[in-house]
Amino acid sequence: MKRLRDLSEIKLDRRTLLKGAALGLAGTALPLNKADASFWEAFFQKHFREMGKEDLKKVIERLEREYEKKYKKAIRIHNHPAMPGVLFGYGLDLSRCIGCRRCVYACFKENNPSRDPQIHLITVLRFKKGDKWVDLENSEKYYSPQQVPEPGYFYMPVQCQQCENPPCVKVCPTQATWKEPDGIVVIDYNWCIGCRYCMAACPYGARRFNWAEPSIPPDEMTTETHYLGNRPRYKGVVEKCTFCIQRTRIGKYPACLEACPVGARKFGNLLDPNSEIRYAIENKRVFRLKEDLNTYPKFYYFFAYGR
Amino acid sequence: MNITKNFFIALKQITIGSKKYYFWLAFLSFFILLGLSAYFDQLNRGLITTAMRDQVSWGLYISNFTFLVGVAAAAVYLVIPAYVYNFKPIKEIALFGEMVAITAITMCILFIIVDMGQPSRVWHLLPVIGAMNFPSSLLAWDVIVLNGYLVLNAIIVFYVLYRLSLGKEYRMSVVWPLIIISIPLAVSIHTVTAFIYNGLPARPFWNASIVAPRFLGSAFCSGPAIMLILFQIIRKLSDVDIEDRAIFKIAELIAYAMGVNLFLLGAEVFKEFYSGSIHSVPIKYLYFGLHGKTAFVSWIWFATLLNITAFFLFLFPKTRQNFMTLNMGCVFIIMGIYIEKGMGLIVPGFIPDTLGEIYEYSPTMQEIIITIGIWAVGAMLYTLLLKFALPVYTGRLRFGIKAKGVVARDIMTAKPVTISPDETAEEIGKLLISRSISGVPVVNSDNMVIGLVSESDIIFKAIQEEPYFVEKVGELILPDEERRKKLGNTAKELMTSPAITAFEDTPLEELNKTITNRKIKRIIIVDKEGHPVGIVSRADILKTLESKIRK
Repeated sequence: MKRLRDLSEIKLDRRTLLKGAALGLAGTALPLNKADASFWEAFFQKHFREMGKEDLKKVIERLEREYEKKYKKAIRIHNHPAMPGVLFGYGLDLSRCIGCRRCVYACFKENNPSRDPQIHLITVLRFKKGDKWVDLENSEKYYSPQQVPEPGYFYMPVQCQQCENPPCVKVCPTQATWKEPDGIVVIDYNWCIGCRYCMAACPYGARRFNWAEPSIPPDEMTTETHYLGNRPRYKGVVEKCTFCIQRTRIGKYPACLEACPVGARKFGNLLDPNSEIRYAIENKRVFRLKEDLNTYPKFYYFFAYGR
Repeated sequence: MNITKNFFIALKQITIGSKKYYFWLAFLSFFILLGLSAYFDQLNRGLITTAMRDQVSWGLYISNFTFLVGVAAAAVYLVIPAYVYNFKPIKEIALFGEMVAITAITMCILFIIVDMGQPSRVWHLLPVIGAMNFPSSLLAWDVIVLNGYLVLNAIIVFYVLYRLSLGKEYRMSVVWPLIIISIPLAVSIHTVTAFIYNGLPARPFWNASIVAPRFLGSAFCSGPAIMLILFQIIRKLSDVDIEDRAIFKIAELIAYAMGVNLFLLGAEVFKEFYSGSIHSVPIKYLYFGLHGKTAFVSWIWFATLLNITAFFLFLFPKTRQNFMTLNMGCVFIIMGIYIEKGMGLIVPGFIPDTLGEIYEYSPTMQEIIITIGIWAVGAMLYTLLLKFALPVYTGRLRFGIKAKGVVARDIMTAKPVTISPDETAEEIGKLLISRSISGVPVVNSDNMVIGLVSESDIIFKAIQEEPYFVEKVGELILPDEERRKKLGNTAKELMTSPAITAFEDTPLEELNKTITNRKIKRIIIVDKEGHPVGIVSRADILKTLESKIRK
């Protein structure tokens, strides 16, 4: 009866209780005293966009307390709003990318995804040159040569394409994911019910699910976080690339861009005619992934030079 | 309140039963508890206990959900012939179909809940208190139609039972509008569920407009197939008599649905393989395997074979009117559709994934145990619903109003002649003539009334019925003298069932109403155990009224 023993080992923490309550099985263990008030606050926490300033402040304080208790480290949750007149766009120069995956690990370091199981928000695909163009079915995600780039191959990093017409937002049954005014598609990790409909709808495999309780060693934690970005996630919710919302909304570049050793990554304001991204779009040979689906990604692949 | 008191009296029925009944409940409880413990483990550790991953993010749970929506939708397959075309043998059992719908939808909801990463947040799905994304998300639509269908069927079932428990006919003015809503709603639960997958251009395997029609086609085979098996169990284990005619009619309807289903499958297969674009990769994976990955190949061919075999078993009257082959066909269909429309539909949607990776999904033990647990919950729920409904349905449980004045006991012909279900038409005819009576109750071995054979039943049976369309086709391709023979000649096949019964203390007025409303000639009077104690015929009532007038 191993299973029964497992049952008794369940620690009665907030989240277990939440679920127990949902099942109506934890009736006797429901917290009623004041110390457990945060249980009900968490349970009845409103949708991010429904909260007033005061509500949000309180929620953020409570979440910071919870995180500190869980991760033994002070974590700050910011809530920088979208800057007016900004629509973020990303460019990726396929002629430069060498497939080193430094972007993958920079993202990993910046965005506090689970270490075990390991979650990556960027996938780098390897394609054979001279074959069918962007032949996803024959691409390789798990390539591991001694050295990159490998002759005869090219590489294509894929992450959330921040679609202007995002299928994931369309299908979410609870409006837990939406497109912000600066074009970033975000998720309220406290509102997502974990149905994974968005993952079925995403044509770019950009969404990740927390199949287990995310684990992050305290010394690897990025402590400056954004409510809609890199704050720690929960078991059973979906997460994704947010163009490093915690950085880009205060004028920094995304972590993946800074890590790129060959300058293949470009980022900027699509509404600013003088931005680097606008230059690339207007002057290079640009394409977007799966254009036939009319998702209008704000993630542009291009070729700075031919090879 | 009388209603609540009576409800609890009826509810108490579920605690009374034979040893076999308790054993069955214990058997189901075992699997429910096992499933619960696996579910607690899943809650504790997360969905990592399943084999689902980012590449294949829906699996066994959603497959079961999809299959069961079909089963629920199939209740209309009884409702349409019963209420719209007034096909009496099916009308009498539509109630059991509606209970299947209630059970299936409940299971659907459970499968969705166990699939959720954050089940305690389920209220976020609701309008007003949550943030239901209506009309944009098809899942929001599904929440509405599924719950609507559940509530509607529950209302119909409990209303009909309520009326029956008072010994009254249900009011068509109440039931009819509900039925009229339930028919398009049944179609819509399945269409909306199909659209959940259908509306995703990211998944070419699902993004075909044939998905919704195929869903309906397969639903109208698998749901009725389950019901046919349930009906046979019900009539075996209880005193409800379900006519063979009803069963064969449903089997005939299954044949049409399976024909449509296979045709649509063929259309899909043609389009995918003939055009051969990159979008046909998932179906290639499903039927032939891809890059050496062949987990589904043998399953899907097995399912296809089962479906085709079942189609022919149901197409020919000879095999669908033989219980051996009929039940074989039912089992084939249930298995075939469960594979084809469960895992065979959900998983290839994710293989290869949107970036071309092939992750071969096969459910973990945990997932299988939880799935079995939910099926056990369904079986338990249906058993309890039956246990609750049957005594009311058969007339053993009645909450009659205390009688004043003339009651059945005063006017009935006591100690009626009865016959066994095996009596032949000739014998019954002789009996009716020799005793100069016009109808005779049929009792089972426990002396419980299971039906009634009247003169008109015998005359009616004597007239050859028009063969159904499929039978006509069957006649063309399968000449067989045996086939034209009449279905049967015994009381069991001739009788009208369930017989309309009343108690000895039922007032005259009540009897009168029943006879007029249901256009019947006589009512069998039974004691509390269902044993026949008398018959009140129209003549008896007339005599009483006459004597009243004289006074």
